Amino acid sequence: MLRMVKRTDMTSNKASLIRVLSILFALITAGLFIAIMGHNPIKVYSAMFMGAFGSTFRIKDTLIIAIPLILTSVGIMIAFKMKFWNIGGEGQILMGAFFASFIALNFDTLPKPLLLLMMFIAGFIGGGLWALLPAFLKVKFDTNETIITLMLNYIAIKWITYLQYGPWKDPKSMGFPKIANFSDAAILPKVFGIHMGWIITLVIVVIVSVMMKYSKKGYEISVVGESMDTAKYSGINVNRVILGALFVSGGICGIVGMIEASAVNQTLSASLSAGYGFTAIITTWLSALNAAVIIPVSILFAAMIKGGSFIQTAFQIPQAAANILQSIILFFVIGSEFFVQYKLVLKSSKKEGSV
Amino acid sequence: MQEEVFVQMNDICKTFGSVRANYNINFSVNKGEIHALLGENGAGKSTLMNMLSGIYKPDSGSIFIHGKEVKFNSPKDAINQKIGMIHQHYKLVEVQSAKANIILGQAGSLFVNEKKISSEIKAISTNYGIPIDPDKKVYNMSIGEKQSVEILKVLYQGADILIMDEPTAVLTPQETEKLFKIIRNMAKEGCAVIIITHKLHEVMAISDRVTVLHKGTTVATVKTKASSPKELTDLMVGKSVNLSIQRPQVKRGNAALKVADLMAYDQDKVKVLDGVSFDLFEGEILGVAGVVGSGQKELCEAIAGLYTVESGSIIYNDENILGLSPRAIIKRGITMSFIPEDRLGMGLVASMDMVDNYLLKAHHNQKGVFLKRKPIMTKCEHMIDQLEIKTPGVHHPIKQLSGGNIQKVLIGREIETNPHVLITAYAVRGLDIGASHTIYDLINDQKQKGVAILFIGEDLDVLLELCDRIMVLCDGRITGIVKSDTVTKEDLGLMMAGEAISC
Amino acid sequence: MKKILSLLVVLTLIFAMTGCSSKPDEPEKAADKPAEPSQAEAEATQTAPEDMTVGFIYVGPIGDGGYTYAHDQGRLYLEEKLGVKTIYKESVPETQEVEQEIRNMVDQGAKAIFTTSFGHMDYTEKMSKEFPDVAFFHCSGYKTTENMSNYFGRMYEARYLSGIVAGMKTQSNEIGYVAAFPIPEVIRGINAFTLGVQSVNPDAVVKVVWTSTWYDPAKEKEAAISLLDQGVDIIAQHQDTTGPQQAAEERGAFSIGYNTDMSTMAPKAYMTAPVWNWGPYYVAQVQNVLDGTFKSEAYWGGMKDDVVKLAPLTENAPAGAAEAVDAATAKILDGSLAVFAGPILNQAGEVAVEEGKTLTDEEMLNMMWFVKGVEGKIE
Repeated sequence: MLRMVKRTDMTSNKASLIRVLSILFALITAGLFIAIMGHNPIKVYSAMFMGAFGSTFRIKDTLIIAIPLILTSVGIMIAFKMKFWNIGGEGQILMGAFFASFIALNFDTLPKPLLLLMMFIAGFIGGGLWALLPAFLKVKFDTNETIITLMLNYIAIKWITYLQYGPWKDPKSMGFPKIANFSDAAILPKVFGIHMGWIITLVIVVIVSVMMKYSKKGYEISVVGESMDTAKYSGINVNRVILGALFVSGGICGIVGMIEASAVNQTLSASLSAGYGFTAIITTWLSALNAAVIIPVSILFAAMIKGGSFIQTAFQIPQAAANILQSIILFFVIGSEFFVQYKLVLKSSKKEGSV
Repeated sequence: MQEEVFVQMNDICKTFGSVRANYNINFSVNKGEIHALLGENGAGKSTLMNMLSGIYKPDSGSIFIHGKEVKFNSPKDAINQKIGMIHQHYKLVEVQSAKANIILGQAGSLFVNEKKISSEIKAISTNYGIPIDPDKKVYNMSIGEKQSVEILKVLYQGADILIMDEPTAVLTPQETEKLFKIIRNMAKEGCAVIIITHKLHEVMAISDRVTVLHKGTTVATVKTKASSPKELTDLMVGKSVNLSIQRPQVKRGNAALKVADLMAYDQDKVKVLDGVSFDLFEGEILGVAGVVGSGQKELCEAIAGLYTVESGSIIYNDENILGLSPRAIIKRGITMSFIPEDRLGMGLVASMDMVDNYLLKAHHNQKGVFLKRKPIMTKCEHMIDQLEIKTPGVHHPIKQLSGGNIQKVLIGREIETNPHVLITAYAVRGLDIGASHTIYDLINDQKQKGVAILFIGEDLDVLLELCDRIMVLCDGRITGIVKSDTVTKEDLGLMMAGEAISC
Repeated sequence: MKKILSLLVVLTLIFAMTGCSSKPDEPEKAADKPAEPSQAEAEATQTAPEDMTVGFIYVGPIGDGGYTYAHDQGRLYLEEKLGVKTIYKESVPETQEVEQEIRNMVDQGAKAIFTTSFGHMDYTEKMSKEFPDVAFFHCSGYKTTENMSNYFGRMYEARYLSGIVAGMKTQSNEIGYVAAFPIPEVIRGINAFTLGVQSVNPDAVVKVVWTSTWYDPAKEKEAAISLLDQGVDIIAQHQDTTGPQQAAEERGAFSIGYNTDMSTMAPKAYMTAPVWNWGPYYVAQVQNVLDGTFKSEAYWGGMKDDVVKLAPLTENAPAGAAEAVDAATAKILDGSLAVFAGPILNQAGEVAVEEGKTLTDEEMLNMMWFVKGVEGKIE
């Protein structure tokens, strides 16, 4: 009989110890699993690490995964700061990609910089509008944003699927349901071997950090997040702050969609968001809503994704098993947060028996 | 008669992180005794009682209940030892009947024997003189009735040691009297009753013995009859204090605020303000008395632009400010300050520092995209000096300050704007005597400057001493506006209960 | 925030520790020597099989019992015959993930890479330009580059034969066909099957349902059930799983499989299946790469190349079917029977292929119309 008790005596040393232990346990548990599959855990782990960072090429690949993670995390962080649980990053990415693709496919004769700029703006607006919808419903009817943003993800996925199978199907694809590839003008150029999404990402991270910390709007977002009543009391137009913040939050996710469509997929597809909208929830949370911390945490997550993919081919570990490995590690790392907050005590069950 | 000791706590210690909440506390309560636990905020009363009711575990020390040593792991263990706690905030299920609430959480068979339970409840209620209708739904009950349900609930669970946390905070004087009668009955029936309070006159009126805590230690346990309010206060504060509240004479000026015929409804279309009309003059403190939930909150928020009003007018500077948003009011430079009852929930942001809290209203008037924190920092440092706010610095999170210092920050921020009208709701709630007096002084300073002050209070003694006039609200209606010189506490009590009295 | 930082430090340390403490193993060894231009410049030089890594990118899991399974059988055959090292990645969607996986495989030393789904085509093409020294083979598409072959089998020949079996078996004269995407490959298969059916039973029709997926057991099964509900008594499929077979089995209907012999999946329903036999082709192509004689081509092997064939008929097949199939097989092998030889009518009853004419490969590869007897629309 175990009971959970809220910790009152957590020091930062103790917390770090718990986290270290959790990672050790994760590695041991996952190691057992690897051993059962007939592989050497140390080899698999080192391969995972090497698969993510072992060569310039792999580091680049890891960063290419990290870019959308960082940017999406920063986007939803803005909403999270307001305690507006935007778990619609996935949908906002797709709608941003949709808007950007509309520009890319219809105005591909424009000069490259102008076209990319228009796609960028369109992506921002697309994601922003998609986030504005749940924000509007929230301020108008006090609906639950968690449900609405989640559901809007599926609507966005189905909408892109519809385009892919219907009106936007590439006539040159001989019936295969895919949207036409972008022309070269619509593809983000590379800088130092990685598409320039990384520059966009860094710039946005810096801007968002500064705005959240030093601007009036960022300040108002924090106040609304801490207490709606205080915000109203102090004369902050709460509804406007929510709508504005969500537009930016979704807009940044929309930029992710634009970058992924332009630089990575070079077309629009329903699977373009690749789960970043959901993974970013974890990275944002683990980063304690701090834009600067989001970067290393996202890179680590990207490394885990990349390393996990690497060991699949390197050791011919089935995809499902590689996913289990990643999940075990995640489970322990996130689970450790529970033990930072709570402890379990054995219930003294002497007299309790009759209860 | 040999006194039977029900509760004996020896050398109790408890620390939270680096804070020493309880240190070597000794405390005992006898059978049939009413024991008051007195202390300022943060003196360790709640910590001590939470250990007695099984919420916390002491770091060291021992607890004996009915002569046996016990170690509690959960509140359930404490309940099994016949200890019942009645919290300040009632934990009742509104849509259920009294009976359902009383048996809630009880172990028992799958099926409930309604009749048996009804008769058991009846028996307890007649025994202790607690009038109650077991089938009445909680949402139909007055505060006093709800409290009765809470008391019955712990009695039904078999408790003979009752802990009551600030039980009179929300009661009218008449209801308080009734409660005291019940408490005396319980003592007569052999229960031990512990009352946590900081209202000295109640301590004097009801308790047999008083234990005074100060900064986590036991200062003294004295027989009430052998003590005096002055002595208890000095023990509690740790130094000699002047208990009287000043009421400086200031010449009343013009009407700063004219409120007329305010009507307001809450979400369930229940009237919360019913034709409220009054004038608030410069250089006066107008007290507002009333049972909690009589419309005080709505009145304040309506004036501050936070509550939507059905009809009526609030005239300030020949302009009806009703319907303006708080921001519009701030932007127009109308220097009206509202100190809300819920300090950390409304007036301040708990996790932010002083500077950011100061910015709450000030940032609207700053130009540009970015905040200017530098000038505010100087102002905050100035405020710390002037109001003697105890804080490690301007960048320390507000929530880690003590209640009194938090309140000083809030009031300090509001008076810094040189308000013309100041509204304060429960300005001293939760503050100890020393801190309360600092706040009274601050408010009096403002009055002397000619500020018009609306003071929502709960302690009638304070209202009578501090305010020039007192307005009594009951169910959203004004049942009287009286001069505090000419009214008695009993009259106020009757008005709070809804009887209009002409004075 | 401080806590998170410390967490990160620890995570990094652990990664670093495991990374440093271990001896470089196979995949890393491969990574140390990426396919550098200088190495592959030496065109005509031979490569030893043990130095050869061949990558396979599959659209489904190897356990699908169908399309990917058939390819994986080819991979295992290749490994066994040539002793080369093979790596594979399952369930790679038809998105840019293909590029990532190709990069991974090149990074791990792959010199030849097979991508096996139509939707992998554009990404394979792009990668073939990025890695000119790697030989690429794309299955079921139509694009080739300097170093990218496309390969496929004339599955329509085997489908025609399976149509004969179905045509003889059907009682309701309605046959259901669960199909993935309306692309020429699938349409061609449906047409060939229908022509086979009608060659023995001119009154029978073939009803088509699209699933818009290659691999989705539940969805495919559902589609088959909807066909069975409309009264068909035989289910044929152009899908990668055995879902439609199971539907037929459960409903007491009969079925024609696809990709591999599916007799164990639906013992009471399954009659036969047009199946792949990739092994020999993979061996031949990889041998070319080993010998340095690889040249990109568009390969479209038929029954006479042994790339496609009809699986043995089970006892569920109608009497006389074996003889009819054998007769047709012989004619296909000796060239006297071409599946798409005129006269062929289209759905509207107009002549689509005139008498005496046979469709060219080009026309077959771009087939976007149905023959008479097919009930369904190309969406």
